[in-house]
Amino acid sequence: MTPVVEKLHKDNPEKKSRALKRGLDFMAITPQLVPFLMGINAAMEEENANNEDFDDNTIVAIKTSLMGPLAGIGDSMIAGTLRIIAAGIAIGFSMQGSILGPILFLLIFNIPALIIRYYGLKTRYTKGAVFINNAEKSGVMEKVTYAASIVGLMAIGGMIASYISLDLTLKIGRGEFAEPLTNYLDMIMPCLIQLGLFGVTYWVLGKKVKTTWLLLGIIIICIIVCAIFHL
Amino acid sequence: MVQIILIFIVAMIGYLGYFWPIANVQRPLVMGMLTGLVLGDIQTGIIVGASLELVFLGSMAIGASNPPDMNSAAILGCSYVITTGAAVAQGVAIGVLVSMLMQIVWNFIMAVLVPMLGAKADKYAEEGNTAAIDRIHVISGLLETVPLAVLTTIGFYVGSEVMEGLIDKIPSFITSGLNYAMGIIPVIGFAMLARMIMDKKTACFLFLGFILVAYFNINIIGVTAIACILVAILLFNGNQVQVVKGEATGHNEF
Repeated sequence: MTPVVEKLHKDNPEKKSRALKRGLDFMAITPQLVPFLMGINAAMEEENANNEDFDDNTIVAIKTSLMGPLAGIGDSMIAGTLRIIAAGIAIGFSMQGSILGPILFLLIFNIPALIIRYYGLKTRYTKGAVFINNAEKSGVMEKVTYAASIVGLMAIGGMIASYISLDLTLKIGRGEFAEPLTNYLDMIMPCLIQLGLFGVTYWVLGKKVKTTWLLLGIIIICIIVCAIFHL
Repeated sequence: MVQIILIFIVAMIGYLGYFWPIANVQRPLVMGMLTGLVLGDIQTGIIVGASLELVFLGSMAIGASNPPDMNSAAILGCSYVITTGAAVAQGVAIGVLVSMLMQIVWNFIMAVLVPMLGAKADKYAEEGNTAAIDRIHVISGLLETVPLAVLTTIGFYVGSEVMEGLIDKIPSFITSGLNYAMGIIPVIGFAMLARMIMDKKTACFLFLGFILVAYFNINIIGVTAIACILVAILLFNGNQVQVVKGEATGHNEF
């Protein structure tokens, strides 16, 4: 924000100092939506510089009130959905060592993300914060979040089935009729083990167990099981 | 020596990830490819990177918290597999371990050193000194990245020599245990993501995606396409149904 502040408040050191301090307030938001917010912020600072009666506390208020909904929608759409889909598609190629994987990953994520950044800064600077307040009231935000979570969750569901592997080679039956346990479970439902693992992990995470411990736990359990069964 | 310098450059590219106009350069998929490129085995680099990407799929910076450090994980995991010819799962295990250690260092920098600069920036703001604030931004950016990149490079330099001696001494049940663990660990990422975006209303879609793949073997591109169509049906046609219903009751009154 410093170039904007420098340009707008050149002749008014007191306003400049206050504007700079506002710029350093705590912000937590999805990176791709930062330009969006900066556009609104720049427009408000301009108003502040030109209008003597403008109460500059409104800038802080609007910034803070937008932070929540914007970060919410941004995290679920961009970090939660777009990135997952990009990674899901790319990992399929990359597992075979194809260079197409990383390239697709960057393209699928960045093309929409850059468009959001560009138009975020541009449209918000021109139209101001009115739009976002209206969108929030009319329920558009909710709908967009809902849509993003549907696409994201379906991709996650698909990846549970395709990217988790656990072959239970333990044989059941004798002689010729011995078959790995996995085959029996697949007869009940394909990828049942994967779904079961997901269910257990989901439940454990709900118990506020830290992911680091979960990770270490899985590694240790696997090593112990392998040590016992001499796999 | 050239390799060490190149690894440092790759590490810096990754740690400065948030400052590039192109996002997600710091994800293991891309870092793995770059490490592979430096060490002359791009294919292995991509494969290890993809495995690590699965492990870290659920890790991202939410709010002001730091995720485990994926850069050092990808660089050291990949270089371990490429230089020693070890199994991918071992590289991933080393990557995970490294990422946790580096997270501690990173958190220290973020929690102790950067706020000190923030206090300075507040003072300059009081004075209206814009140039000094810009300078602080650059300094804190470097402070967050250079030490971590240096540590990664040291890890690369020391690690590859030590590891080569160790590899034969690891008992087989540990390696096969790690192999199994690496197959399972991505589930943590999926569960974390689901915890973040799933509620009672949307849980069915997770199962829909799962069943599409489990029974019909559709790939992720296909699942995404179906998901988009579903969204379109639900959001656009949903309103029409309501309108039609309204008209229908209207007609009944006649």
